[in-house]
Amino acid sequence: MHSRIWLPEPKMPESQINPASVNQLRDEFMSELTLVTSEDGLRKLRDRYLGRKRGAVQALLKSVRSAPAETRPELGRRANELKQFIENKLESRQTDLTTNQEPIEPVDVTLPGRIVRLGRRHPLTIVREEIENIFECLGFEVLEGPEVEDDYHNFEALNMPPEHPARDMQDTLYLDSPLTDGTNRPATLLRTHTSGMQIRYMEAHNPPVRIIAPGLVYRRDTPDQTHSPMFQQIEGLLVGNDITMADLKGTLECFLQQVFEPNTKVMFRPSFFPYTEPSAEVFISCVFCHGNGCSVCKKTGWLEILGSGMVHPAVLEAVGYDSERYTGWAFGVGIDRIALLKYRVEDIRSFYENDLRLLEQFPY
Amino acid sequence: MKILVSWLRDFVTIDVGIQALADALTAHGFEVSSIDPPPTTENKTSQEDAVLDLEITTNRPDCLSIFGIAREVSTIFKTPLRLPPAETISKEHSTCPIQLTIENTELCPHYTASAAEVTVGPSPDWLAARLEATGIRPINNIVDITNYVMTELGHPMHAFDLECLDGQHLHVRRARTKEKLKTLDGVQRSLAEDMLVIADDSTPQAIAGVIGGASSEVSTTTKRVAFESAYFLPVSIRRTSKQLPVSTDASYRFERGADINAPVTAMHRAQELMSSIGAGHTIGKTIDHYPSPQQKSVIRLRLARINRILGVTIDKPFVSDVLERLGFGVELLPALDTQWRISVPSFRVDVKLEIDLIEEVVRHYGYDRLPATFPQLVRPPAPLSNELQRQRLLRRILTASGCFEAITYGFIDQSIAMRFVTDKNDLASMANPLSEKAAVLRPSLVPGLIDALIRNRRREQEDIRLFEIGHRFSRQNGETSGVAIALTGAGSLKHWSGETRPSDLFDLKGIIEKVSDAIGLSVFLEPSDHPWLMPGHSAVIRASFPNRASAKTVGSIGQLLPELAIERGFPAAGEAVYVAELDLNGLSPLTEDRSSRNVTPLPRYPSIVRDIAIVVHRSLPAATVRDTIRSVSADSLVEIHEFDRYEGKGVPSGSVSLAFRLTFRRSDRTLTDAEVIQTLDKIVETLKTAHQATLR
Repeated sequence: MHSRIWLPEPKMPESQINPASVNQLRDEFMSELTLVTSEDGLRKLRDRYLGRKRGAVQALLKSVRSAPAETRPELGRRANELKQFIENKLESRQTDLTTNQEPIEPVDVTLPGRIVRLGRRHPLTIVREEIENIFECLGFEVLEGPEVEDDYHNFEALNMPPEHPARDMQDTLYLDSPLTDGTNRPATLLRTHTSGMQIRYMEAHNPPVRIIAPGLVYRRDTPDQTHSPMFQQIEGLLVGNDITMADLKGTLECFLQQVFEPNTKVMFRPSFFPYTEPSAEVFISCVFCHGNGCSVCKKTGWLEILGSGMVHPAVLEAVGYDSERYTGWAFGVGIDRIALLKYRVEDIRSFYENDLRLLEQFPY
Repeated sequence: MKILVSWLRDFVTIDVGIQALADALTAHGFEVSSIDPPPTTENKTSQEDAVLDLEITTNRPDCLSIFGIAREVSTIFKTPLRLPPAETISKEHSTCPIQLTIENTELCPHYTASAAEVTVGPSPDWLAARLEATGIRPINNIVDITNYVMTELGHPMHAFDLECLDGQHLHVRRARTKEKLKTLDGVQRSLAEDMLVIADDSTPQAIAGVIGGASSEVSTTTKRVAFESAYFLPVSIRRTSKQLPVSTDASYRFERGADINAPVTAMHRAQELMSSIGAGHTIGKTIDHYPSPQQKSVIRLRLARINRILGVTIDKPFVSDVLERLGFGVELLPALDTQWRISVPSFRVDVKLEIDLIEEVVRHYGYDRLPATFPQLVRPPAPLSNELQRQRLLRRILTASGCFEAITYGFIDQSIAMRFVTDKNDLASMANPLSEKAAVLRPSLVPGLIDALIRNRRREQEDIRLFEIGHRFSRQNGETSGVAIALTGAGSLKHWSGETRPSDLFDLKGIIEKVSDAIGLSVFLEPSDHPWLMPGHSAVIRASFPNRASAKTVGSIGQLLPELAIERGFPAAGEAVYVAELDLNGLSPLTEDRSSRNVTPLPRYPSIVRDIAIVVHRSLPAATVRDTIRSVSADSLVEIHEFDRYEGKGVPSGSVSLAFRLTFRRSDRTLTDAEVIQTLDKIVETLKTAHQATLR
């Protein structure tokens, strides 16, 4: 690189030449020399000091002749020394510049960079946190609870009396003896949904209630492509003074359009759950064919995505709420199901195999 | 439930196409899962026909019948509903040849029986075809009649060969000790004492509401039959059916709740059908045992409540019309013009409360017509809990440390779980596990994580770092949450610029230190053996807040026992596997809240850095040396960093050379070289006396 610093012309020794002016010229040369970084710059420097016509040293030598006779030999010797000095310096600088100017070796920028080791969250966590964020924005509190539950919180308080079909041994995994949990209700089963947490919350808080409860749940299902004995669920619960089924529809539409695509169509269809009345099964327009009909949606154009409904008065009464005064809605959605559809994963079991080749395909 | 559309047309006029009918049923809560062509035998009319397969939710046993669906269709399309034909009350006054004794009216509150003289043979084609279309195999005209009535009206019936009944006497009673019955499916069944049976004078002839007995089965030689049309308590049928176990079309309906008033209707329909197809004629009166007829339940329905639940205004006439068509008694209360007195028909066993009526209204109003609104936010939400914030933070730190998050099953193999507990009784076992491999709840996250690591190792992955955040279960500690990390393979990934090195314990320790620091834990390791870790290469993780004296064990770290890794499928010549687990429960007293900590001002004075290398006995922990150095120079030493550890040539055997880089600084003034030299001399002197250390 050329030095872009503007340099003044070296001062010509005027009529009076003395040892000091020789030294001054030498100092000026030295400081300029340090700024030279190229052969071209060095040539220009040589011209300025040793040039025949306008060179500063040349001018100095000339002026020696006009100096008083008694100082002339001394000044001449000094001027020649300076000339020799400058020549030597320029010479050695020239050598430096030519020998040091090895050709710049280019690097192969196509070689791989050093790998920054960065892991990723599990796809189910990614989806879970995404859903949590959506509901946090809608003013919901996120709750977690125990996976080993007691019968009351998992079934009875949810309007599922002892003879309800969902309580069959096929569906629920039971412990051989209760796990100590410090409460007076023995925790004997693996929760089949996270609803128990909602009951606990309502037992401890008065309305309004605005919560979601994500977590692992267990069912005694033999694993296959669409079933896993353990999966993740998020349940939502809203109880207050004027909570309507229309609110449920608006909220779930908003949620599903954020999780999937903004133009996702959402359909509500009557269904039955013991803990909600009226109950609704919610469908989204098929993410694969956009409602045109394909093998995944069995040509219907719709995919079942979640269950929901207005909280059954018996559930509100079980936690001591006045079901005349308060109304509410609830929903439950499988995180695995959403992840399967969102990322087009073919087998639910692959979520629990934790194969790095799969895990590294999900967003950070 | 399979519905033959032409059968449906017996009761309701359908003016729409098959697809439109199916769509309407689906939209009203009866999902049509398939539409199949009708059987070819019945094609008398030009009208479109098909078999619809409907999913009937468990709360609607009344719709497990052609007539029940017809009622819904008539409500959906606002067309009249026609009743099925029934035998008018028999004029015959002769007594019924059957004797009936109900011993248990609680489990059988309504029982109807009648006798008939029959000619057993095949059913007419149309009847057999209808049964086949709805998935029932025709057997003979008498059995077919009972199945036809069940399919049409939803009420299960049974026919006994009357001459096979000892004493021609039917006893409805509980089974006796050690009683057995060979049922229609040819299976010899032992009966439990809480099961309700229909017995003759000597032995059980049917398991009430579930399945008939083989010995009184109606066959081609049967001359006289006893028809049964009864109502059994759902809970009892359900229990019996589960216990045997056997599930039939009859038990399926009874356990969900049949219509307690239907037995007579069903009996009359069967009698009418029998005479119309020439299968036989009724003898004597029909016995109807219904000692305490059920009171009709009455519910108050308020228009305001409907609108409050649904969030939409629904017209009064719409409400009345829907409920009337569905069979409810509807009476608008004159004083309060916006309230009804609704009497519930006995077939609607699901309707008990006002909310159940509201569901009927909105089901027929159409979910698609409800507006989509947003609930008002009346209270700001509580902030994210500390636990959840901590989890999210852990995931950030761990993924940034190169670890991938795994989620493994909560239940594991007992044999592997045993390696992670000291007492077998501490394991929580399942009563009904899916398999041996899922027999106990995990006492630690490590076994699941190493299995995931090994699975990856066997699938061509070599450099593996995994973590999991989840719950652990033990009888002693209950359910606790924790985080575990497992790693193997290269410590630094292979790159063209240089050599790699294998991961070691200190890779894992580094991650644990970062993770702990992030959540406000100050941790140190103490050598300790664990059954799953290699002796001498394992430690407990101890947290020392507020001070070291109150330190608590919060986890474990070390190299996994190679034989354990191999046992779980890791390659025999495989690399070392390192695992750590940290408790996340009860950390609050041990953690420093760093979220609100003030920053320390940047140093105003320069620091002086000096290196020292000392030779000490090789068993002396580095932490002890560090502590000694700190104790001497507390006022000016700001950082201490081990940068070399060397054993070998130049160091006496049994000794080790440790090199420390010490950074000195004061916050109030510039340190002088002389001061630092003085401090260093003191450090060296103390190391000499405390650890017989020599300067190298």
